Amino acid sequence: MKYKDYYEVLGLERTATQDDIKRSYRKLARKYHPDISKHSDAEDRFKELGEAYEVLKDPEKRAAYDRLGSNWQDGQDFQPPPNWDEGFEFGGQGDDAFARGNLDDFFEAMFGGGRRRHSRGGPSPAVGEDHHAKVVIDLRDAYLGAERSITLQLPVVDAQGHVTLQARTLNVSIPKGVRAGQHLRLSGQGGTGGAGAPAGDLYLEIAFRDDPRFHADGRDVWIDLPVAPWEAALGAQITVPTPDGAVEMTVPRNSAGGRRLRLKGKGIPGTPAGDLYVVLNVALPPADSETATAAYEAMRQAFNFDPRAQFYG
Amino acid sequence: MKESESPQLEGQLVDEDVEFSLVELCRVTGASEDELTLWVAEGAFDPNGNEPQDWRFSGALLRRVQTAQRLAHDLQINPPGIALVLDLLDEIETLRAQHRRSSRR
Repeated sequence: MKYKDYYEVLGLERTATQDDIKRSYRKLARKYHPDISKHSDAEDRFKELGEAYEVLKDPEKRAAYDRLGSNWQDGQDFQPPPNWDEGFEFGGQGDDAFARGNLDDFFEAMFGGGRRRHSRGGPSPAVGEDHHAKVVIDLRDAYLGAERSITLQLPVVDAQGHVTLQARTLNVSIPKGVRAGQHLRLSGQGGTGGAGAPAGDLYLEIAFRDDPRFHADGRDVWIDLPVAPWEAALGAQITVPTPDGAVEMTVPRNSAGGRRLRLKGKGIPGTPAGDLYVVLNVALPPADSETATAAYEAMRQAFNFDPRAQFYG
Repeated sequence: MKESESPQLEGQLVDEDVEFSLVELCRVTGASEDELTLWVAEGAFDPNGNEPQDWRFSGALLRRVQTAQRLAHDLQINPPGIALVLDLLDEIETLRAQHRRSSRR
């Protein structure tokens, strides 16, 4: 396994006080919280912060961690020395702040032993827990529906309190018309219930993979469409791609760059279906030949056009 | 690691047509009834029905309630703070969408 430098994760020196640790954790947790942050690695960073904080905030765990020495580099191959935790007792429960998701090897091996999954206890604790996972699909899948094979790593706690990961593969039908942020509920696919009680449900949150052309906003979909100056000026019939095949669209005469054209019902299907918004992006051909230069010259002659007529006030 | 069965599963889409009671929504999101009641009192969520036992939450709120639950627990944010953060996140989302539209050209 790899050594984790928890001080580095929190941006601290080894001499940091407990107050420093708390302050730094709070600050970074706000920055990298996956519900707030748009950093692409926010989820991993937040998990790492949680692990670092759980160890360093607890004076006993911190002392045990410090005893490993300060010569290790983050990411260096690492085997804990025998009896490294002798004389320490990590009786504590894990924080639920990061009970979700998979734990880092290093953390799990060194500090994970006493961890219990906290149970979302209502009045009937025998009912299995609801589980949550995220599924990333293509926008096209929302137009057509799809089948996805999803592998979940479920932490399972055995009778001795040890956590092992169990892989579980599910084949899930993604219905046509799903939108980002919506959930699919799979009844009875969550945690198993105790003593004849029903299993919990599995909730899959839908997210769309980034697409170079399309962008979804709720049930509406946006695309930038490059057009030639003469197509924008004279009007044109243009083939527009949609996530579900191409459609024909009329660009009206005298369209300005940035003009937004709506193709009703060509967004994500549903009742009502979303719309597809096509934003015209006028692309200028370069004046890189004699004919092209002559054409621009002819335009200059033909128009009495001052683009900055209203510009200087 | 153990590989389990893999049947073909049809999920139910949790959209506006799905409703949760207070107890159900708490179970799904891991929020406590007390905190969810306080978030409603702050206006962060607006269920149908007058009394907590009659409340019905739209399935479309699920993600927002989960976000509230995670933020409240991970960052120790109190109910007025949660209501404010959710409003600000909505605003940021709207601005990002506008920004994307105007900056891609």
